[in-house]
Amino acid sequence: MEVLWISLLGGLLALDATSAGQFMVSRPLISGTVTGWALGDAATGLVVGALLELYLLVSFPSGGARFPEGATATVVAVASATAAAGTGAVALGVAIGLVWGQVGGITISVQRKLNGRFIPEPGTAHPERVTSIHLAALAMDFVRGSAVTLVGALTGRFTVGALGSAWPLEAGDSLGLLLVGGAVSAGILLRSLGGFRRRRVLFAVGIALGVAGARLV
Amino acid sequence: MAVLTRRSLAAAFARSFLIQGSWNNRTMLGSGFAFAILPALRRIFDEDPEAFAASLGRHLEHFNAHPYLSNVALGAAVRLEADGEDAESVRRFKTAVRGPLGGLGDALVWAAWLPAVSMAALSLVWLGAPGWAAVTTFLVVYNLGHVGLRAWGFRAGLAEGRDVARSLTRASLSAWTERVRALATLLLGLLVGSVMAGEGGLAEAGLPWGGLAAAAFVGGELVGHRLWRPAAIAVVASVALVATWGWLL
Repeated sequence: MEVLWISLLGGLLALDATSAGQFMVSRPLISGTVTGWALGDAATGLVVGALLELYLLVSFPSGGARFPEGATATVVAVASATAAAGTGAVALGVAIGLVWGQVGGITISVQRKLNGRFIPEPGTAHPERVTSIHLAALAMDFVRGSAVTLVGALTGRFTVGALGSAWPLEAGDSLGLLLVGGAVSAGILLRSLGGFRRRRVLFAVGIALGVAGARLV
Repeated sequence: MAVLTRRSLAAAFARSFLIQGSWNNRTMLGSGFAFAILPALRRIFDEDPEAFAASLGRHLEHFNAHPYLSNVALGAAVRLEADGEDAESVRRFKTAVRGPLGGLGDALVWAAWLPAVSMAALSLVWLGAPGWAAVTTFLVVYNLGHVGLRAWGFRAGLAEGRDVARSLTRASLSAWTERVRALATLLLGLLVGSVMAGEGGLAEAGLPWGGLAAAAFVGGELVGHRLWRPAAIAVVASVALVATWGWLL
């Protein structure tokens, strides 16, 4: 039953990514925390959401590009990570989320093709038809997001339930492994913001502030 | 313009939040644009159903822009229709603005504003702030920019009509993009610093992982987006291998 509720949450959050609002509650950091809270484990939700946000810093819902679907991926990742205790479950949850983001991205492409079939031709435009097809496409996106989340959460929970408790790495090593992947995204982002050569002073000042802030806290 | 009511304009603005609801490969934002402008057109062509259908039809045609900045075109299209501009002028206007509105919006919002606010929130997490503080900061700050940009775009388009390019020039969105990119760089540094030294960061993982992360960062900076997928695959494969190894032990 819990997975069904989580699937509906996945459908709602998926809507925000492109179809409705784009208030960015669909970003991994937010959807992870919300899902964790809904599952009674906000701390795990925050950790998984923050790690996936780090990976998806360079993934934007822009135009016709295919991009990993962060919202459903994060809901699936958190639902999976909370199926067992320990850092192994978090590592597996993040990995499952990364895979499921690609699955979600493919389903978005399929839906966009389907939408194109139903859009009325300009010559046959009728206001009620324009409205009903638009709302039907929104409803279809919700159903798609829910279905993607449902299948992902069931698969993920089974996988983490089977493998999570046997995870052999220490917490620090598990975290290190996940952060190495996130570091690639951070590097890509620096390049897209102008590159190290051009931005080195600001970047260095930021690092100094970050290190000082961490020491102070 | 007199024919438009506050209510019809508010409805068009509210619907603009759903403009990507039927995004498709054929007309892209076209059907969403028609859905958003519908309440205004209904009011403008209240007594002329044929003109209403013809106008709705032309707004169903292919259109694409950044979803937030598409409000500039939406407001301007409402103004042009209310002013009784001919179909070809409206069509030419939309064709002329879609490229710039897409490019400006992608650069300002997706490539600068969103990552900047994300990194600020992530830095809070790694600096030990409560989760709710990071989430609230992200949602409030991001949406101040988001909703503000949508509202500004709609108002500017409505006020200037076909001359809305003047508003875009005055607003100097490119200069704003550059400023936000500079801020985002500072925040990226802040995030890297807090991940290096903060709670649950690389300091806890140990020196070898720190070295690997530094190498991965440099690789990302040198190679760019092409490295994202291989890196994600490598992480997933590593996690799968470790999990299988643990299961076999």
